[in-house]
Amino acid sequence: MSRRGFLTAAAGTVGAVAAQPLLTACGSGAASVKPGAASTSLLQRILPHYTPSSLVKPDYPSIDGSPPAYLSYPSDLVRTVAETPGSGGSYTGITPLWGTIPSANNPFAQAVNKALGATVSVNPANGNNYSTILPQLFSGNKLPDWIQVPTFWAPPLNFGEAAATRLADLTPYLAGDKVSKYPNLAAIFSNGWQAGIWDDKLYGFPSYTAGFNYGYQLYYRADLLDKLGIGTPSVKSINDLFDLAKEVNDPAAKRWALGDIFGYLYQPFGYANWMLDDKGNLITQYESPGIIEAMNWMAKAVKAGLVHPDQVAGNFGNGVTEFYSGQMVIVSDGSGAWNAADAQKGQAANKGYTRASFDFFTATGSGTPRMPLEAATAWTSYLNKRLSASQIEEILRIGNYLAAPFGSVEYNLLNYGVEGVDYTMTGTGPKLTAAGTQYAGSAVSTYNFLVSPNSTTYNAGYPAVTKAAASWGQRNAKYGYQPLFYELNVTVPNNVSSANAFTPFDPNTGIMHEVVRGRASIADYQSTLANWKRNGGNKLKAFYEGVLTQQKKLGSA
Amino acid sequence: MTDAATPTASRPRAPAAGLLQVTVPPAGASAGPGRRRWWARLRRDRTLLIMTLPALVLLAVFGYAPMLGLVMAFQDYDLYDGFVHSPWVGLANFQQLFTDPGFWHAFWNTLALFSVQLILFFPVPIALAILLDSLLSRRLRGIIQAVVTLPHFFSFVLVVTIFNEVFGGAGLLDTYLRSHGVTSPFDFMTDPGTFKLLATSQLIWKEAGWSTIVYLAALSAISPALHEAAAVDGAGYWRRLRYITLPGLKGITVLLLILNLGYALTFGFEQMLIQLPAVGSGAAQVITTFSFENGIVAGNYSYGAAAGLFLGVTSVILILSANKVAHLFGEDGLYRK
Repeated sequence: MSRRGFLTAAAGTVGAVAAQPLLTACGSGAASVKPGAASTSLLQRILPHYTPSSLVKPDYPSIDGSPPAYLSYPSDLVRTVAETPGSGGSYTGITPLWGTIPSANNPFAQAVNKALGATVSVNPANGNNYSTILPQLFSGNKLPDWIQVPTFWAPPLNFGEAAATRLADLTPYLAGDKVSKYPNLAAIFSNGWQAGIWDDKLYGFPSYTAGFNYGYQLYYRADLLDKLGIGTPSVKSINDLFDLAKEVNDPAAKRWALGDIFGYLYQPFGYANWMLDDKGNLITQYESPGIIEAMNWMAKAVKAGLVHPDQVAGNFGNGVTEFYSGQMVIVSDGSGAWNAADAQKGQAANKGYTRASFDFFTATGSGTPRMPLEAATAWTSYLNKRLSASQIEEILRIGNYLAAPFGSVEYNLLNYGVEGVDYTMTGTGPKLTAAGTQYAGSAVSTYNFLVSPNSTTYNAGYPAVTKAAASWGQRNAKYGYQPLFYELNVTVPNNVSSANAFTPFDPNTGIMHEVVRGRASIADYQSTLANWKRNGGNKLKAFYEGVLTQQKKLGSA
Repeated sequence: MTDAATPTASRPRAPAAGLLQVTVPPAGASAGPGRRRWWARLRRDRTLLIMTLPALVLLAVFGYAPMLGLVMAFQDYDLYDGFVHSPWVGLANFQQLFTDPGFWHAFWNTLALFSVQLILFFPVPIALAILLDSLLSRRLRGIIQAVVTLPHFFSFVLVVTIFNEVFGGAGLLDTYLRSHGVTSPFDFMTDPGTFKLLATSQLIWKEAGWSTIVYLAALSAISPALHEAAAVDGAGYWRRLRYITLPGLKGITVLLLILNLGYALTFGFEQMLIQLPAVGSGAAQVITTFSFENGIVAGNYSYGAAAGLFLGVTSVILILSANKVAHLFGEDGLYRK
């Protein structure tokens, strides 16, 4: 569910990628790229120097950027922060939460505050409408001290300007070697920090940073395919997928083959937010031939009755439950869907529940599959400009605590709470108690969204899940590639900002949604596209062409 | 709002007023008789005025003050520049709005949806109220009223979910049909062609019971003596309905009709927003969802505000015209002429 919200937003804002050579246009309507953008050397001066740390040797090491994975929980936890980081300060924060919001100042939060030596009152807000509360906070200048603003929700906030007027510049505290005071922050990949750079200055803390970061993968119910006598499926092309879907589809038994997997189809059909066409011209994904084929394919699947009716109706809220209950066999989701919590919930609904994922493939079945990478993180948090220097330093020490890696005492507290209260240690790792599930379990993302270490894979009690997911990552990471404007924070000028919202192409209400459901034709799609181009789309493309030219000049594209 | 009686009817009557007028000392020499009368009325009604004060404050703070924000419809509003520093663009937003086919689609779709809902929904609570009123068992009447009123307190999220569980493609009905040999049963929840009927039936299910309350109150105000006299004169049920019951409901019906017109352009935001993905913008896009999508979601606040302002002005015009028509037919409408 969270993933859908995330991707809805991501697709709606397209170039929602993090910073590299810091090209930004002034927000006041000029259509030109701001001159004096950073070169690689300037970037080197701004970015905190990366100093890797590895407390525990992973069972599945990182290959091509895939997150390292651990099958067991380390028994000797290491303390990475010697002194209490806080000096009694009191700070407020807001982060999104997809799930039940725990009560304020609960026992877990109290334990964390005690360890931090400060009061960090984070107020988790409903993730599903988080994007609509941000504008009020920014325009009314009612920002808390610390706030999470995902990159894909930054464009409507005109974020370059937001950073300059509302947020604290962290460059003087973290740039280059200065980060060495905070070793856990220094151990976060540089391209995670890049996501927080706006107008040549470092503003943001990264969370969940990973080298191999992508939008969607295609999952299936391995146990159901086994039961149907299909075994491990071999899907090498989009036709293979269609044939498999036809084989498992049985609406009379309340089993549909597919969810709405249109969001995933950019992988086999090979299109990305921004790309070059055959002649080398810059185009958006909406102008690519691949997206037309993808729509036709998905429409064919809908028409053949292979897609669950709720998904056709756009009721995605029950999607996960329907996957658990076996009403849907093949769905698309983010990498975050494949974990212990998923296995636990799935097996509660269906004893043999096993999630598995298809390897990336090409539509035709020939050639090497490719997957455009997302920025190393989309989750970035910021500090309020009103904080004093000593307050910022205290928060940085707290951030250093929050960014402690897997295998540390600090990581253990932040992810599992207090032993005996929130979790008990078992042979397969920490197991949350009832209180732990209520507080620590539901509030984990609360602190992780402020700042967290590089992503790792560990599933307490479910090593089989780790095995499957980690080996999938090791096999598929090599197909990832950096698309155009990768890791670049672009603030578009006002006169093209509404075109940049890509409203006509909204995944839930836009034209593609209609075509796939047979309510509009490809011709309707073409006219919507032409209309978008006329109403600012062409200007937006021209702007991005300028960005591309400048990138080439700086030698970074 | 639920009472048909106009505010004037509940004012303190002449004696009190007369007394007050006598005790009021003559105002300053400069004050004319008009001013004195105004002052006297203010004094006379002061208790009532004080009682309306909280409502007025509420209206001012949450109704009128936010309206100042509408200036952004004439600006190229920037979050960080605020109202003061954002550049003025005159009517540019409205020019863009009126040439946007998406807006006109939303506008006409709003009116079409509203008309269908008005025609099909409006008579239901009246009929239901008359039916309930004719029930002799008070207990049975109470039970039925409670059952039909309850859905009013459900949010549209719940209403749409319940409808989906029953009529959706994977719902009770279609699952039953599929298990009885119908291979592709009709999916009411995703068919844009029948969406107006679907939306209206959701509204009837949710609101019809609640809306009967006002009519029941009006019905109880009709003197039973009239019915008895008519019955003695030999009038049957239908005649009494035609000449006593319905005329007795006329005033409140006209008032509610006018108030409803005021909502013509703003109704059903939640209901439509939830079902937009299911039936598509062709069927479910209304002006409020258009304004939300273009204003809040896309971050184009000025454009969204322009659509909102257009909607507000049009609603006021609709109400005033309907009121005028009511007066022409000799009804009270929103206020007594």
